Amino acid sequence: MNAKQIHRFVERYLDATGCAILEKSPAHFKVKLSPAADRELTNRPYYWSFVDRTGVEPETMTLLLVTDPAKYDAMTTGVKAGGGGDGQAAQAGGSGPAADGRQAAQTGGSGPAADGRQAAQTGGSGPASQAVPPGARPEAQADGAGSPAGAPGAAEQAGMAALSRSFGFVPAGIGARVPRDDLYFGSRRLEQLFAAARRGGRFVCLFQQPDERALHPYDSLPCTPWLGVNVKVGFVCDMKREELHAFGVSLATGAVVEGFFDRLQGMKLTPRLPANVHVTGASLSLKKAADLIEQALMRKLKAYDYGWAAAANGRLKEELAQLAHYYEPLVESAGEGEKESIAAQYEARKEEIRWQLAPRVVAEVVNAGLFHLTGLA
Amino acid sequence: MHPIPRADRGAGGAGKSPHSSVEFVFDRSWVDELAERAARNGPWDDWTLFALAVEAERAKLVTSFDELQSLRCLPAFEPMPHQIATARKVLREMGGRAILADEVGLGKTIEAGLILKEYIVRGLVRRALILVPASLVLQWVRELNQKFGIPATAQKKAHTWHADFVVASIDTAKREPHRELLLSRDYDMLIVDEAHKLKNRKTSNYQFIQQLRKKYCLLLTATPVQNDMDELFNLITLLKPGQLGGQSEFVANFVADKRLPKNEDRLQEALSAVMIRNRRSDGGIAFTKRIVRNIEVKLSPEEKALYDAVTGFVRERYDESGRDLASMLSLVTLQREVCSSRDAVFVTLFNLFKKTAEDSPMRAKIWELVEFIRRIRANSKAEKALELIRETGDKTIVFTEYRATQEYLLQFLKQHGIHAVPYRGGMNRGKKDWMMDLFRGRAQVLVATEAGGEGINLQFCHHMINFDLPWNPMRVEQRIGRVHRLGQTNDVKIYNLYTTGTIEEHIVRLLHEKINLFEMVVGELDDILERLEREEQPLEQRLARLVLEAKGDADIRRGIDALGRSINRLRADAKRTASAGGPEAALPVLSVVPDGPDAAAEVRP
Repeated sequence: MNAKQIHRFVERYLDATGCAILEKSPAHFKVKLSPAADRELTNRPYYWSFVDRTGVEPETMTLLLVTDPAKYDAMTTGVKAGGGGDGQAAQAGGSGPAADGRQAAQTGGSGPAADGRQAAQTGGSGPASQAVPPGARPEAQADGAGSPAGAPGAAEQAGMAALSRSFGFVPAGIGARVPRDDLYFGSRRLEQLFAAARRGGRFVCLFQQPDERALHPYDSLPCTPWLGVNVKVGFVCDMKREELHAFGVSLATGAVVEGFFDRLQGMKLTPRLPANVHVTGASLSLKKAADLIEQALMRKLKAYDYGWAAAANGRLKEELAQLAHYYEPLVESAGEGEKESIAAQYEARKEEIRWQLAPRVVAEVVNAGLFHLTGLA
Repeated sequence: MHPIPRADRGAGGAGKSPHSSVEFVFDRSWVDELAERAARNGPWDDWTLFALAVEAERAKLVTSFDELQSLRCLPAFEPMPHQIATARKVLREMGGRAILADEVGLGKTIEAGLILKEYIVRGLVRRALILVPASLVLQWVRELNQKFGIPATAQKKAHTWHADFVVASIDTAKREPHRELLLSRDYDMLIVDEAHKLKNRKTSNYQFIQQLRKKYCLLLTATPVQNDMDELFNLITLLKPGQLGGQSEFVANFVADKRLPKNEDRLQEALSAVMIRNRRSDGGIAFTKRIVRNIEVKLSPEEKALYDAVTGFVRERYDESGRDLASMLSLVTLQREVCSSRDAVFVTLFNLFKKTAEDSPMRAKIWELVEFIRRIRANSKAEKALELIRETGDKTIVFTEYRATQEYLLQFLKQHGIHAVPYRGGMNRGKKDWMMDLFRGRAQVLVATEAGGEGINLQFCHHMINFDLPWNPMRVEQRIGRVHRLGQTNDVKIYNLYTTGTIEEHIVRLLHEKINLFEMVVGELDDILERLEREEQPLEQRLARLVLEAKGDADIRRGIDALGRSINRLRADAKRTASAGGPEAALPVLSVVPDGPDAAAEVRP
């Protein structure tokens, strides 16, 4: 996923969960979460159980989600170059009256704040600011923290440093008013969004919206129910490869198609039964349909190459033989007291090896839904 | 996706499989829930989220068995080529069970993190346990989070054991009630740092690691063999029992002597299937240079007077004691301290004074020395150090052996407007981390008495002042290793301060000119010192004897030269056995690699 795709993904998630976007650019979103999204993303179960029990109006969090960190930083430091000159002077000069620094921090807006962030990234205030006498600087920085961009200033930084001394690591932004998250592929926040999407989009029931112009007002279009299932197939030994398959089964005829999800994406779907549409009866139960999908998958998988599995089985056999060679004489020669524990060790180790190496194909359903389609029979 | 949970394994529909060589599991748990929702007509989820879930799964898909997937997930940092190669090998060829035995400073932590990340990305590891020495817990947590985005947690309370990725100290983990809890769980991956502590099968640590249920396992150690071949056997057997055969087979096949292997080729082969050792000399690993400068400091007449008085005093005691070195250690310390600061001398003298009987004639003599101390007005060395610090204008770490000198330096630097913070062994972990933070942040100077503590990484600083030199070369190397390590992007400047006309001058000469300490590889030094010890006494004691018995400066010089020669002879010996197929040479996997003698003062180790 590149930055653009991530940006699109985030935008659609925020939109779907009803979050209020306060500010956005091609590189970031500043967003006030909806209660639903807050529950998913902010990891505050105690707060939410408090809200649920007392019925108070929930106060959701505001996040700064940066989808293109490089671009975003360039953008914000660009602002600084305009207004933050004083702020820099206050930092470099240091000896100037503290009021100067404060003013600079206020007028500079995101200027000193950006500095503060930079400092946070290098893990402190950085060697560049050493020349500053300790008296003057912290104030300027502490004020920087109050600036709208919400970067951690000296006081906050000290707090963070103390927390991280105790816990080793504190995710950026805890304690800050608007925590910033860089969303790159593999980042925690994006992983969390992925998981949230998966939890929030498990089962759907949708109807295809017919093309209105083509319809006579008194006509009623028949639509057929389909079961759509997205299956992730993992080929697993000590390594793993995956495939994603989208199967669709017509609940009327039992016909199975592949690539079902992509077909759906070209359609206009709605959760309500549209006018001029009626649903034809299903002749297949969901269980039966699931069987059909499993069979279709099985047929597909039969044609695959299982060289990897044979190789894994070979390794497994080798390792079990090696193990037997080591343990069997050991068990044999062990004294009464020890025999049992060594045999148990042997069993445990065998179990571990199978766990590690035994080849298997695991088909896991990502999500599934009922789709009532007019186009497909 | 889950690996098959233990309980379910083998239960998956046998016979119903696309191929005879694999087990097949088809998840059907969704059917009932969908049917139930259909029956009640809801609640239904959102179509956009449904589509996003599919997109997310598509993006995360592991499309190949071989390619490292984790690399595209690490924008924050770039692993070095040898680290990537190691990760690849562990995944492809070793099936996730390996001993990572890189030499010190090549980034074993990074390799382990990379491997862990790869398995997480592939969905093969959901729960991992990382056991490390207590002093390294927070550092591991930090690295895994910051570099790899792995949400690792430091184990603090009982409930933190339930986090997916827990870093804990092995000594905590093996104690009840933790032990029982951990043994009842399955870990997809177990990582043990400083695994050379697992060399004895009788220890509780070893047995505990053996009993933990784990799928993948990484053991990290820089020294897979420290003393004898048994250690190697035990370590490998912990990872993969049978890899080297049974104990008696191993002895018969591979052990010529306690410390000497045989059938090296076969052993090498057996080892390389489970162990990876990258060495600095392998090339492709870029280190910056070390630039060493010895800085002469002239003692003021008062300081010189104190030095001479202390030297006289120490020798007198030595002669009185009948040349018994063992009883003289505190006095030898005195002799060394006098080169560092008057404060250090004073503390030792004061303690000595308290210990001597009230009517002892010693008391008067000690008092005389204190008089000498009183006359000293300035510390020439501290002034030189200040000059250097001002000159560099950059982060600088100052090492001293003595607590009193440390206090003095902190005060001295403060008086001169330089922000300095202390670091010493006695501080608790939190305070140490705090001092590190301060040094990284606003302080210019770190004054440290301890370098041995694993886990101080000071790559952001590349100036180092040895305010006084330890007599043990390993300690010097440890000091340098704090700064000169992987990730250091600048050449490291090392300043050795030495006072002319004192023993220090000779020590610097010995360490720098005679044995080229600053150019050696960590492992090499280790090896030579061990040989030296085997032949006679430790280097420190030899030096002490030399100082106490020498009749004059020329005498000391001769002694030092002789010492330098014998060290160089050992060094040559080490090299010869290495090339002739001695224990280490036969096993590149285990060996320490001597560096070429051609390098001058600028060195890449």
